[in-house]
Amino acid sequence: MKQKIAISFCAIIIFSCFSYAIAEVALNKNEFVLNNAVIATAVNNGDWIPIPYQAIAPLGGLVLENPALFDVISEPTDKLVDTSSAGLIVKVAPGEILPISVKLSNFGGGSRVDVLIKYSIFSSGGIEIYSTSETVAVETTANFVKTIQVPFGTAPGIYSAKTSIVYQGQLVPATTQFSFTVERKIFGIFQSDFFLYGSMTILAGVLMFSLGHAFVKRRRLARFAPSDYSSIPRDQRIFYEILSDTIMGMRERVGDDAVKIASDIPGLEIDQETGRILALKDKPSKIIATLVSEYENLLGKKVSFSFRMDNIPKTNVTN
Amino acid sequence: MKMQKTILVIEDDKSLRAAVVDILRLKNFLPLEAADGKAGVEIALEKHPDLILLDLILPEVDGMTVLKKIREDAWGANVPVIVLTNLSATNEQLVEDMVTHKPINYLIKSDWKLHDVVKNIEKILGGVKKL
Repeated sequence: MKQKIAISFCAIIIFSCFSYAIAEVALNKNEFVLNNAVIATAVNNGDWIPIPYQAIAPLGGLVLENPALFDVISEPTDKLVDTSSAGLIVKVAPGEILPISVKLSNFGGGSRVDVLIKYSIFSSGGIEIYSTSETVAVETTANFVKTIQVPFGTAPGIYSAKTSIVYQGQLVPATTQFSFTVERKIFGIFQSDFFLYGSMTILAGVLMFSLGHAFVKRRRLARFAPSDYSSIPRDQRIFYEILSDTIMGMRERVGDDAVKIASDIPGLEIDQETGRILALKDKPSKIIATLVSEYENLLGKKVSFSFRMDNIPKTNVTN
Repeated sequence: MKMQKTILVIEDDKSLRAAVVDILRLKNFLPLEAADGKAGVEIALEKHPDLILLDLILPEVDGMTVLKKIREDAWGANVPVIVLTNLSATNEQLVEDMVTHKPINYLIKSDWKLHDVVKNIEKILGGVKKL
C-alpha cells in the first residue's frame, strides 16, 4: 500500500513538474505574442488589449521567428513641382509628373523583406482616379522618389496622393497620404499664378507708365515754363527775363541746340537742363545782342521778344 | 455802345500798312495810319491811340526815336507799343533802347502772320484801360 502511495506521489510530482515545464514554455510564448499584440492594439485603439497568439495565425510562425514591422512616410518633394512654403501643398497640372518622396522604415527584425507599395490618387469625393504599385526589397530603411503622372484629363481641384504598403506578416496597416492641387497652366504658368502675376505686371506697368508720364510732363513743363527771377534786382531782372524767354522760345523751335548755343555765349551762365539763367557776367544788352546774332547765324532764325506784363507800364494796363 | 479802340499803324511799306489796316477794321478796331516817323509822332501825340504798331526802319525819323519821343510825353509813357520790324536785335544799343522804352512786343515781321499780330493786339487791349 505504501508502495502504491509512493508511486502515486512520484507520478504526481513528475506530472506536476511536466505540467510546470509546459506551462513555463506557454508562458514565455504568451509574453512574446503579448508584446506584438500590444503594439497592434496600441496603434489601432490605444487600449492595452492583448491579442491571443492564435489570432494572428497563419502568420504566427513568421512572427515568432523575426517579425517585420514597417512604417511608411510619403510626402511631396519640391524638386520637380511647385510647393508652398509649408511644403505640404503641391500644385501640378494635368499630365504633369507628381514626385512623391517615400521613406520605408522597418521597426521589426533586420531581415530583407519584399514590400508591395501601392500609390493611388483620390479626388476630393473619394474616387480613385489613378493607381499603380511596385515591389521594393527593404532591409531596414529605404528612401526614394516615386514619380507618378497625373492623368491628362484630371479636372482642376484638390486631390490626395495615398501610399500604402503590404508585406508578409503585416500586422499594422501602414498608409500615408498628402493633398495636392491640380490646376491648369496658361503659357506654362499655373492659372492662378498667371492671373496673379499678370495683374501685378499690369499694375506695375500702369504705375511705371504713370510715373514716367508724370516725370516727362514735369520735365517738359520745367523746360518750357517761364522761369521766375523775382529774386533778381529789378534793374537786372528784365535782362534775365528777356534772355530766359528768348532761349525758351528758341528751344521750342529748334530743340536743345538753343540751350547749347546759349551756354557758349561769353558772360552767360545757364542751367543746361532747364535753360534758366544763372548769372550774367558781362553787359546784359551785349549778351542779348550776341545771343540773337548767334541764333540768326547758326540757326537761321530771327528772334522776337515779348516783355513780361509786370515790365510794361501799369497805369493803363491791368494784369 | 462799345467804344472802338484806336490803333496807330506807323509803317512806310504801303501794301503792308494797308493790309494791317484792313484786318484791324475787320476786327472792329479804328485804325490810324502814318507813313513815316515824324507823322507817326504827331498823330500819336494828337490822337492818343490805344495802341501803336511801330516799324523801326522809317523815313524822316526812325522807329526807336519815335518811341523815345512818345515815351517822353505823359500820355505816351504808358501807351502799349508793338514793334513790328525786320531788324534783328543784334545791336547792343538797340537792345538797350528796347529795354529802356519797353515796347510790349518786339516782333520780327518774317516770323509773324498779320492775323497773329492782330490777335496779339486783341489780347493786349483786353487788359488795357481806356484813359
